[in-house]
Amino acid sequence: MAADSLLTHLLRDARVPLGGGCLCLAGDCPNCLATVDGVSYVRTCQVAFREGAAVTPHAANGELPPLESVGERPPATARTMHCDVVVIGQGPAGRAAATDARATGAHVVTLDARDGQEVIGIYPGPLVVARTEGGMRHLYPRGEIVVATGASEIQPAVPGNHLRGLVTARAAAELAAAGVPLGRVVAVGTPPEGVSYEQASGTLVRFEPSSDSARLGAVVMRDAEGAETRWPCETVSLGLGLTPRDALLRMARGMNVRGVGDVLLPAHVPPCPQEGVVCPCAGVTVADLASVHARGFHELELVKRATLAGTGPCQGAACVPHIRAFLAAQGAALQPPFTARPVTRQLTIGEVAAGAHHAATPRTALHEEHLALGATMERLGGWWRPWHYGDVGAEYAAVRNGVSICDVSTLGKMQVSGPGTLALLEHLYPVPISSLAPGRARYVFMLDERGYVIDDGMVARESDTRFMATFTSGGATFAEMWVRDWAESLGVDVRVMNQTFSLGAINVTGPRAAELLARAGVSAPPAFLHHGQADVAGVPCRIYRLSFTGEVSFELHHAAADSVRLWRALLSLGQDLGIRPHGLEALLKLRLEKGHLIVGQDTDFDSSLRRLGCEWGVRLDKPAFIGRQAVLRTNRLPLDRQLCGFEMDAAKTTSEVVVFLRGEKETTSEVRFRTPAEGATIWDGEDLAGVVTSTTWSPTLGKSVMLGWLRLKDGALPTDVTIDDRPARRVPTPFYDPEGRRARG
Amino acid sequence: MVERLNATRIVAAPAAIDTAVWPQGALVLRLAPDEVLVTAPVIVGGVDDPHAIVERETGFSAVWVDNSLAMDFLERECDWELPRPRPAFAQGLVAGLPLKLWFEQDRVLMVVASPFAADLAERLR
Repeated sequence: MAADSLLTHLLRDARVPLGGGCLCLAGDCPNCLATVDGVSYVRTCQVAFREGAAVTPHAANGELPPLESVGERPPATARTMHCDVVVIGQGPAGRAAATDARATGAHVVTLDARDGQEVIGIYPGPLVVARTEGGMRHLYPRGEIVVATGASEIQPAVPGNHLRGLVTARAAAELAAAGVPLGRVVAVGTPPEGVSYEQASGTLVRFEPSSDSARLGAVVMRDAEGAETRWPCETVSLGLGLTPRDALLRMARGMNVRGVGDVLLPAHVPPCPQEGVVCPCAGVTVADLASVHARGFHELELVKRATLAGTGPCQGAACVPHIRAFLAAQGAALQPPFTARPVTRQLTIGEVAAGAHHAATPRTALHEEHLALGATMERLGGWWRPWHYGDVGAEYAAVRNGVSICDVSTLGKMQVSGPGTLALLEHLYPVPISSLAPGRARYVFMLDERGYVIDDGMVARESDTRFMATFTSGGATFAEMWVRDWAESLGVDVRVMNQTFSLGAINVTGPRAAELLARAGVSAPPAFLHHGQADVAGVPCRIYRLSFTGEVSFELHHAAADSVRLWRALLSLGQDLGIRPHGLEALLKLRLEKGHLIVGQDTDFDSSLRRLGCEWGVRLDKPAFIGRQAVLRTNRLPLDRQLCGFEMDAAKTTSEVVVFLRGEKETTSEVRFRTPAEGATIWDGEDLAGVVTSTTWSPTLGKSVMLGWLRLKDGALPTDVTIDDRPARRVPTPFYDPEGRRARG
Repeated sequence: MVERLNATRIVAAPAAIDTAVWPQGALVLRLAPDEVLVTAPVIVGGVDDPHAIVERETGFSAVWVDNSLAMDFLERECDWELPRPRPAFAQGLVAGLPLKLWFEQDRVLMVVASPFAADLAERLR
């Protein structure tokens, strides 16, 4: 004899059915749901009995059972298996299908809910997902999926169907065989096997309670003449017909899925329900169906949505036959059951999350160094990066007045080589590349076909046929795809190596940067916009001379394995120069003082170089590059808005700061320079004029500086605007060192 | 223990990679028709392509895992079908990470871009 289910054991132990109503013992009804060992919505008929299981019935009044708290139990595991055939259901038809498949030498996996393997969905792939007591199973069949889930018994939809003591005919037979006392049994429809019963005839009208209002006392039937007969009993066995258990077939349309056995039976259509609850999960009554039908909901899918019938735990198994019968009785054709979708069973949060991972955020080779220096790390541009090391002001000052280093390993880095390299790069960039001599580098924008800026970076020429290109940290992955796609489209002969993860990069910047490099063994560093190969503190580096901070800057690209050695050496060599690393907060301040824009922050999806005020970034005398036609076309249109620089005088505010130290409260005052927030609205008088994209307080200039989008008014850009309720001026950029003397050294 | 791999990465014409002679004892992982990762130094002229990019590669980390432990991990975390013959090379997303896998009879080498090495170590725990 098969092991007891939890439900059978409880019933044998004279416990009442947990949810009341008609029990099917086959997982098709919601009436045996309970919270078992803290997990709600467990079908107790599908769970093997185990000693010590804590079972709490779900409330009969519709009150929701407790939800599992996240973290209360370990996440479920997910195991993956590849096979040839998956057979779902191990009744006679399923067993035969599995045997036939095995005979062909196929690797067959079988699943059966009775064995605690509930299939909860079939997904494109195809992928069969099952929950088991040992965790989730992800099955990928190379061949077909066989659905042999059989047919379920139709549930009654008449008044009193919530009473305890109603069972389907199959359930009655099973309970009797399991030794569960049924008392006096009356059979309605097909009788149960192996059970003593009285056969009731006529049409089922209602169930009546016993003296215990929750328990069945009698079943009432009506004959052809309309006379009612009352059949006192303790159990009613209901053989009302079969409906195929075909949710998985309806879910997997278009996939290599085949049904066998009773799942292919035509659905028995019961009589149109007249009164009472149709959907026991959602408590939808015949009156509810009539109400939504009267309001124009005539399609099964719409009735489902309007009433929520079929959306509960049994997913329509109990109610769909009756709703189909109801709609057919209103004069329409019999409608097919609605499309099924995963999941078919309630899952715990751990089961839903099985096999899922948070997206991993990459770390540079210097991650642990940053932490050791007390950095506050943030996810930015798709990487973990140091936001600051505890003193943004000092980090900023180190760059402007002395020397500082910054981990810029996150920059996209790509080497391109081959006879077609020049042709490819000329096509990718809107400025001439061929004029770039070996040893030189150039700042470049990258446009899409519509002439909008999608990235920026540097192109450095190493030889006639070899170049290095850099991209933004957040844009590197897309850039690789972009470059490879265009190389293929153009049919050029190139080799492309994405070195973003392979090369570390440290920016040495500040008026004493060259002095630090000299100490590291580089006595003749490259000139501005040049690059060269050299050992820095014994580490082989490609040194690029450009500047994002506005000061002398050397970007040291090197093998990632050498990052820590190089970083520590630079910090050590620069100790008496007051060196300190700077994080992104200082860097963003430094770059904004120079008016350097950040693609994705200061630009939008429709940012042309003209709108950005960067027309110098495109050379229309080039015969061809991506976006050229769009630039030519849009240049003929009136300029509607432009990215501009703004400045605002200091607005000091003094605020009281309360500090609790060792339980003692101290009050001090703090002077702050109030700077508008990014996203602040720009007003031109009463008119909405734009929005601020970048903003900072400039310690060097003693004022707030900003970048923002400004609309043209009557063909002109307003000069005096209002931001954050304060006057601001549109000014040319860069705000700091406009001639660029400091960066050029 | 996931450790940084000292290797050589080569991007070259596929035919040049097909015919190259690699250092003895080195693992040669064909990442793409035009790309290979070799776990030993490779001289620039060793690949018959004047435009080949041959670089010292330290941007990958790797760990050898005993076969049974590896299969237990991969059964849980890998949605795609693993190769059956050994030795074999495969690559794809595993546990949300881009992994390269080298299968031998009794062990598996898991290779990941170093920026994800900490995540791999965490997932293997």
